[in-house]
Amino acid sequence: MKCIVPLLILLFPWFSGFSQDAKQIVKRADDLMQGSSNTSEIFMKIHRPKWERSLRMKSWVKGDDYALIYITEPAREKGQVFLKRKREMWNWLPSINRTIKIPPSMMMQSWMGSDLTNDDLINQSSIVKDYEHNILEKEILDNEECFKIELIPHDQAPVVWGKIITWISVTDGYSLKNEYFDEDGYLVNTEIMSQVKNVGDRTIPTRFMVIPANKKDYYTEMRFEQISFNDPIDEGFFSLQNMKRIR
Amino acid sequence: MKTYKMAWRNLWRNRRRTLITVSSIFFGVLMATLMSSMQEGSYSNMIKNIVKFYSGYLQIQEEEYWDHRTLYYSFEEEDFLHKSLTGIDQIIMITPRLESFALISSGEITQTSSVIGIDPQKEEQMTNLSRWISRGDYLTTGSSNIILAEKLADNLNVDLKDTIALLGQGYYGNTVAAEFIISGILKFPNPELNKGFAYLDLNTAQTFYSSEGKLTSLALMIEEYTDLNKVKRQLDTRLDSPYIARTWKEMQPEMVQMIESDRAGGVVMKAILYIIIGFGIFGTIMMMVAERKKELGLMVAVGMQKFKLASILFQETLFIGLIGVISGILISIPLIYYFIQNPIPLTGKAAEAVINMGIEPVLAFSLEAKVFLNQLITVFLITILVAFYPVLNILNIKVIKYLQD
Repeated sequence: MKCIVPLLILLFPWFSGFSQDAKQIVKRADDLMQGSSNTSEIFMKIHRPKWERSLRMKSWVKGDDYALIYITEPAREKGQVFLKRKREMWNWLPSINRTIKIPPSMMMQSWMGSDLTNDDLINQSSIVKDYEHNILEKEILDNEECFKIELIPHDQAPVVWGKIITWISVTDGYSLKNEYFDEDGYLVNTEIMSQVKNVGDRTIPTRFMVIPANKKDYYTEMRFEQISFNDPIDEGFFSLQNMKRIR
Repeated sequence: MKTYKMAWRNLWRNRRRTLITVSSIFFGVLMATLMSSMQEGSYSNMIKNIVKFYSGYLQIQEEEYWDHRTLYYSFEEEDFLHKSLTGIDQIIMITPRLESFALISSGEITQTSSVIGIDPQKEEQMTNLSRWISRGDYLTTGSSNIILAEKLADNLNVDLKDTIALLGQGYYGNTVAAEFIISGILKFPNPELNKGFAYLDLNTAQTFYSSEGKLTSLALMIEEYTDLNKVKRQLDTRLDSPYIARTWKEMQPEMVQMIESDRAGGVVMKAILYIIIGFGIFGTIMMMVAERKKELGLMVAVGMQKFKLASILFQETLFIGLIGVISGILISIPLIYYFIQNPIPLTGKAAEAVINMGIEPVLAFSLEAKVFLNQLITVFLITILVAFYPVLNILNIKVIKYLQD
């Protein structure tokens, strides 16, 4: 009996630290994409059966808690700003000179008519803290060996998904595909990352496709046209006052 | 001698008796006709006022629009749509609309409202919108101002010349926002409408909703309400997917239900009326047979066939029924016509209640054919039923007993 336990540990080393590993893998992928802060210029294309339109925006993100997005194109929406502080979100509308607080009830509403919700936009980084992580298997995805990791939210976590499955590259550490499921276990969105590029200090995918599962010919494409990491941004930058000033 | 001639002569042997029977039928028919004419009249009054104002009798829409009510299902106002409408004579007016919901905000107060883009002139011709303007001016074509309902303005604490901010969702699902100056206040009689309606010029609305050149509906006005189904059928054959013609009945099912339930109540009332009429006729016929017992007994005694006698009595009753029904209808037509020309105005609380529903406060009547046909058929059927009483009576005649009477 005495030797069975060490033997088991020897035979199945993942018994001990597997779930910790999963969490670390997810955290590393998240850090890779977020940094301690990042500044980027994003191009977004929204596709619908009847029309297609594109937006351009600048974005500033600091840690999990602060984000600011400034729309630069098209002209009609230029100047609109979205601000996230902690779990609150505001929208500045220059055309009516008003700041609107986006209430929790609107968190699941589409953001600017895209396939992303307000919640997707601001709550992204709780992917590490709010979920239980579990490696399911290793899988080859587009010639890259990936960890297929299942994310189940904690009981009390303020998340909208019932489950997320993410594919994270074994060698490079960034995620390449996410599947979002609702509370009943149905697939809602698929997110596919591609166009891996060196963006300066790191190599990451720069193109994100969000494809809703049950809507034919709907998708939203996001491309980072420019991104830089870990520039120091003051917390005061993410203020209601600055939201009106920023250009 | 032909039996019908004998029956006819029999009628006039005792004029008073005949006239009493005829008049009981006459008044029955008159009552039933007036009642259902008033009912139908008030329905079409209701339809005319509410439906005409709100949705129009018919609308052309994108087929998915009504289920989703978002601008995603708006459509371009293209020539072929108008072409497909020409040649349908019953359509007398077409007006474009772009309709969606928006938040209207002033200071700290925000209200939701329907914000509808209209062609001011066409809308005016069709729904006479400007008659509800209580202060300020109605929209002009190309105006960049807004007009809104009184209660909405009150709730927002704004008045003429004030600026309000509109916030909504555009054609692309994008957030749209703009400021408008209030140039007019509408005072609708209907409190529901009064709480949440605002109008913009069509072009202004299209720019606001970032849906240039797009409409959510073409509202159609037809000459006679009764042509509705005919026009709908014609449109169905002419319009191809994704366009569809919807009648007000599809768009306002609650109104249809209201009318249906009211009509069901009317059926009970009419049933009671018919029972009274039926027993009235039955009573007079029974009396007639009782009065003529000796005569009938004698006829049989001198050798008249029972069957022939029964048929004469049957025909007498039918004649009485016919005279009653026809005279009732002949009198009710001019009477109803008079009331249509000179509607009885409602006053007091009743008027208030009706005005609050957005309906003219009058007792409206209808000259629709079905109003008369239904009464004619029902009362005549009752008469035939009653006519079997004398027939059965004759067939079971006990001559001796009748003669002794």
